Amino acid sequence: MGKRRPRLKPTLWDGVLAACVGLLACAILFNARVGGAAEYVTAVVYADGVEIDRARIDTPAERTYAANGCTLHARFCPDGVPGARVVSADCPTQDCVHTGTVTHSGEAIVCLPARIVIRLEGGAVPDDAPDAVIG
Amino acid sequence: MKLTTKDLTQCAMLTALALGLSWTESAFPLSALIPLPGVRLGLANIVTLFALYVFGTPSALLILLSRCLLGSTFAGNMNALIFSVLGGVAALACMTALSHCERLSVYGVSVGGAAAHQCGQIAAAMLTLGNSAPLYYLPVLLFVSVFTGAVTGLIVAFLFRALDAAKALPPVG
Repeated sequence: MGKRRPRLKPTLWDGVLAACVGLLACAILFNARVGGAAEYVTAVVYADGVEIDRARIDTPAERTYAANGCTLHARFCPDGVPGARVVSADCPTQDCVHTGTVTHSGEAIVCLPARIVIRLEGGAVPDDAPDAVIG
Repeated sequence: MKLTTKDLTQCAMLTALALGLSWTESAFPLSALIPLPGVRLGLANIVTLFALYVFGTPSALLILLSRCLLGSTFAGNMNALIFSVLGGVAALACMTALSHCERLSVYGVSVGGAAAHQCGQIAAAMLTLGNSAPLYYLPVLLFVSVFTGAVTGLIVAFLFRALDAAKALPPVG
């Protein structure tokens, strides 16, 4: 015996539910996007949950990371724009390459097969920066 | 949960169908359009949603777990098991709860399930990576889930209409 039958025509409440999902997404997005601008942001690289490297994103550099049988080639400050991107990888999904350039604190490039995460952190003014500029 | 031979046969056929749909959608990866880990149309969710309404939550869970286990085994990627199980169980739990809400149609239930599936997969990614970075992808995945959930709901609605017209659905009881 069947348990029950669903309503087959969309209702207003379906729209309300979809709007709630959209609002939740906007709230999380806003929360993530309020991170600092590219200046003073550091790219922190994790493999298997352990930090393995840190790099400034406003200084051109290329690094290679390998874990779990996959190798990623990352470029920092690509094309002179502060940020980080994975330019090539031998992972099967290539999602990390397709993610493109991340530029703001809180953004991340995730490679699931390699279990490598490049996450932009910080955005606060460094300790040696002036407290204030007067006159 | 007592299963008759007929129940078991139906569950096995739906599991095979879910595996087939899962394999079929891997030939048309949505990630080519939206390059984020975990972006999928979720065609296998059609079977879960159908089984939830027609056979109930325990049978739907049995089909879901069988599909996840067999799918990961056939793909030779047992690391994917935690993703499919956490995503699938979260979706089924959410759809079970929403299906009791009389005001929601199959579309709303499906959208809720798709959103929960994405949350489950993000949780799995956070557990696997030992890092909260995958949360960054959640907003986009939630937006995508509204679309994919609506598509899945549309297909299930067509399925129920077609089976009803053919008088192939078991009577409600």
